Formats: sequence, C-alpha cells, structure tokens
Amino acid sequence: MSTKQQLQSAFSESLGIEPTQVIDSLSYNSIAEWDSTAHMILIAELENEFKVMLDTDDIIDMSSVAKAKEILAKYNVEF
Amino acid sequence: MELSGYQVVLHEVTQSDIELIRQWRNDPNVSQYMLCQDIISQKQQLAWFKNIQLDTSQQHFVIHYKGLPIGVANIRTCYQGESLNTARAIEPGLYIANDKYRNNILAFAPTLLLNDYCFEQLGCQELKAIVKADNTAALNYNAKLGYQIEKSTENQADVIAITLHKNDYQQRTVQLKALLSR
Repeated sequence: MSTKQQLQSAFSESLGIEPTQVIDSLSYNSIAEWDSTAHMILIAELENEFKVMLDTDDIIDMSSVAKAKEILAKYNVEF
Repeated sequence: MELSGYQVVLHEVTQSDIELIRQWRNDPNVSQYMLCQDIISQKQQLAWFKNIQLDTSQQHFVIHYKGLPIGVANIRTCYQGESLNTARAIEPGLYIANDKYRNNILAFAPTLLLNDYCFEQLGCQELKAIVKADNTAALNYNAKLGYQIEKSTENQADVIAITLHKNDYQQRTVQLKALLSR
C-alpha cells in the first residue's frame, strides 16, 4: 500500500467516512464525523500506521488532510 | 493570577487587555454566539473592567497559546451572594477570537484548564452553562466534556441549560487531556 493509500485509509477508518471524502481540503470540524473524539482516534491510527509519535504541537496543527501530509513529512513520511 | 496547562496559559485580564477584548467581543464572528449581542463601547468596557476588579463572584482571563492572545475565558458564580471560593456551581464561558484556533482541538485546552481550576482548586461541584439552541458547535463541544441537558429547558426554543458534574467531566476527558499534555 502506498503512503497516500495508508493516509486515506487512516482518515477513512478513523472518521468513518468514504475514502473518496479524504481530500486535502477536508478539515477538522468541517464535517460532523471529524470531531474531537474522531481526532483522537485519527491521531492513534496515524501513529500506528506510520510508526511515529506525534508531539502536541503536531496534534494541534493537524487541522486538515493537507496539514497531516505536511506534518508526517517532518517524520520522513513521503507522499 | 495565571493558570497554565494543556499548552495554554490563562492570564487574568488587566487594563492593557480590555481594548483588544472589546474588539474581539464586538466582532460578529464572536458576538453572534453570545446571549447579548449589543455593541460594547470603550466607556462601557472600562466600566466593566472596574466592576470586575471588585467582584469576587467572577474572574476573566485572556487565553494565550505560544505567547499569542487567542481568546477569552471566564467564570462566574451561579447563585447570588456567593464568591467563587465558596460557590456550589460555577458558570464558565469561553470564546476563541483567533480564526485559526476556533475550529481546532486546541479550543478544548482553555476549557480543560478552567474546569480543572473550578473543580480542583475552587472546589465547586457543578458547572452550568446556558447555550443558544442554534449553537450546535457549542452544544457538541460541551457534550464531549460531559455536559448534560437540564430537563427544565428541553421545551424552550431559544436557549438550552446544561450541567457538568465533576465525575462525568473526569471520566469524559481522560483521553483529551492526555492528547494535549504530551
């Protein structure tokens, strides 16, 4: 699975949405499914999927799919 | 006075803050969610500030994140004649003025800090709030913290009264606190 697919799967599973909804502009609280509870599940899923431990600044900054890619790039995950 | 935790700092409001707070409070992006939406003048703001200096039933804080002021948090007693130190129930309030953090998980941070202060340091047993019925964002936000709707307002159209008990708050916020405390 490519890193793009891994990211898409992590968002889709954590938020309970279709993979096709996982686009760069999708942002926290922009849909009912991405609330604080889903955000916590998402963080855990991304950490598990990409074998990283995000710091709190990253958790706060992870406000969209696009930002998730930027943040994971800091942990050497290429998209 | 200052409270610090969950990545934010709450500084008690000083006179140098009041103009910034007034501008925030008059911004339609903030005022639309308030029960009172009147425009506040500089004169009114100064009178408000002088009043809160003497009032032991309320406290007001500016929220700082990474050294930047991003919003306001406040608490007041629910029952007349009580001070915050002896209050049975306290009403917290919050708004995030900075667009970047309004719809962000960080918006929980000042609330967690304030609620901890109320339950742990002030020793109150309940937090209460009145929320506009159409403010679904606030209702969802408060539900995540463990607030429950008071039956007495279930038939009212405009506002909803909610209550948070200490035990519910502690159980509901374990994961959120851990996430904001790394």
